[in-house]
Amino acid sequence: MLIERVNIISNEEVAHNIWQMSFEAPEIISEYKGPGQFINILVEDSWSHPLRRPMSIASAKNGKISIIYKIFGDVTDILSKKLPNDNIEILGPLGNTFTNWNVDCYPILVGGGVGIPPLLNLKSECENYNIDHSIVIGARNATEHFMTHEPENDIILTTDDGSFGELGTVMNPIDRIIKEKNSPYIFACGPEPMLVAIRDYALKNGIPAQLSVESYMGCGVGLCQGCIISKNNKSQKDNSYHEQYSLVCLDGPIYEAEDIKFEQS
Amino acid sequence: MKQRILSLSNLKISIGNTTFKNPIWVASGTFGYGTEAPDLIDVNTLGAIVTKSITRQPREGNPPPRIVETPSGMINSIGLANIGVEKYIKEMLPVYKDFSTKIIMNIAGTDIDEYVEILELMEKISTNIAGYEINISCPNVKKGGMEFGVDSEMTAKLTEELRKRTDRLIIMKLSPNVSDIVSIGKAAENAGADAVSAINTVVGMSINAKTAKSNIFTTYGGLSGPAIKPVGLAAVNKLYNKLSIPIIGMGGIVSSTDVAEYILAGSTAVQVGTANFRNPGTGENIIDLISSYIKESNWKSSVEMIGKVQTYNK
Repeated sequence: MLIERVNIISNEEVAHNIWQMSFEAPEIISEYKGPGQFINILVEDSWSHPLRRPMSIASAKNGKISIIYKIFGDVTDILSKKLPNDNIEILGPLGNTFTNWNVDCYPILVGGGVGIPPLLNLKSECENYNIDHSIVIGARNATEHFMTHEPENDIILTTDDGSFGELGTVMNPIDRIIKEKNSPYIFACGPEPMLVAIRDYALKNGIPAQLSVESYMGCGVGLCQGCIISKNNKSQKDNSYHEQYSLVCLDGPIYEAEDIKFEQS
Repeated sequence: MKQRILSLSNLKISIGNTTFKNPIWVASGTFGYGTEAPDLIDVNTLGAIVTKSITRQPREGNPPPRIVETPSGMINSIGLANIGVEKYIKEMLPVYKDFSTKIIMNIAGTDIDEYVEILELMEKISTNIAGYEINISCPNVKKGGMEFGVDSEMTAKLTEELRKRTDRLIIMKLSPNVSDIVSIGKAAENAGADAVSAINTVVGMSINAKTAKSNIFTTYGGLSGPAIKPVGLAAVNKLYNKLSIPIIGMGGIVSSTDVAEYILAGSTAVQVGTANFRNPGTGENIIDLISSYIKESNWKSSVEMIGKVQTYNK
């Protein structure tokens, strides 16, 4: 983990309110372990927004990192106004990685909303290793999608309103693929209701699933104890000290589905 | 871990019977137990590390959401999540053997007996910790010491009971959420405290207007960061004007300029808190800068600067 000031290469809107930024980050990449890890971005040097913003790595190749983010508030709005050659300060790489996707299974990659980047990263790794896989991306409507719907290539897009790809949530295609494939393994990241649905489905059907969870993060390095998620197993993870909660920044952001509980479930 | 040798003679300070190589400390709750600092920093450059609050029994802390950013600050309500004193003794104290910075253990309790019991457990064993900061002012826990922090008599009684039992430093950490911080500081001084630290977080609230929900599980939390710096400076200056024991200032320190302001207001040492969340090396980075500032401003030392703010009513 280190802090690096990086030069922005590009920063473009790829779908409605969804932006992709890439920058040169050779030092952070030298410590990068794989899909699922994140970086903590300082968007401006002033202290009007004291905290960094955690963002999942969408790709890390040839000395360059890219992120995909949605404009939610002031900070992401400031980020979207950055131009090539501007610089920002990054802390990372942070967190754990998806595991076992390359071990005797059929990976089903599921992303929703701002949870897409780590799955795109994992998809690219699957392609590098020639691992057969499917990807399912959910959105509310067509304007939020920036990929093409290609069922013939196992790229399935869904919309809540049917304006693009398949009508409905990601659960229908997931269920269909699981019934077709041997040894399916779900890797998912997205809004909490989607993760809750996937977790419930996976546990009910005995399908292994790894979920990348979101949490409001203060520091990203275990100091503030802010980014907790409820644990299901009572085993003590290395970094959390506690039985009931796990620190997402150090133990996560990726958990086996059966290991965590969501507040709404 | 990075290793740096800093020999900055104009920064040396003493509090009670203890000397510190510099006045830049890190604040309780922003640096864990001091043992888990990320490897991008060298903790041994710091004057001292104040641990997160340690209680008699382990505490899980509050449910999420525990933190939220606010304008130039943040609100936290962690709820004193910690491993409890017994595990602290067993697992953390051995790690301190290799440290050349001083460790100040922060203690929290719900009644005098709990504080006393924790302190007695510590005094029974051989340890190189330099002293205790007593949390009488956590706003996030029911009975989280807040009754002590708002009551001069209780503060005096607690200080007295702890004083009897240790020769190590006792630093009483004061709350800004009181009508008269000076009377509470004075009570701690009269009962034998070596120093007071000020301020703990300011009670605050944050609301999401879109969802009409509170952004913090416990509704109210502790506001920290640059947003509270003026509150901290005023508290330190008021305490400095009435107390004779050292004051350890904190609240929104992010730069060497902030440190200079806190020393001029009356601080002997300072604690960097929220800034550690943005960059855990903030304290380390400030040390060289404040030493240079002192030289360039023609002060002999940080000690010479203490309380030297020029006000209009002198």
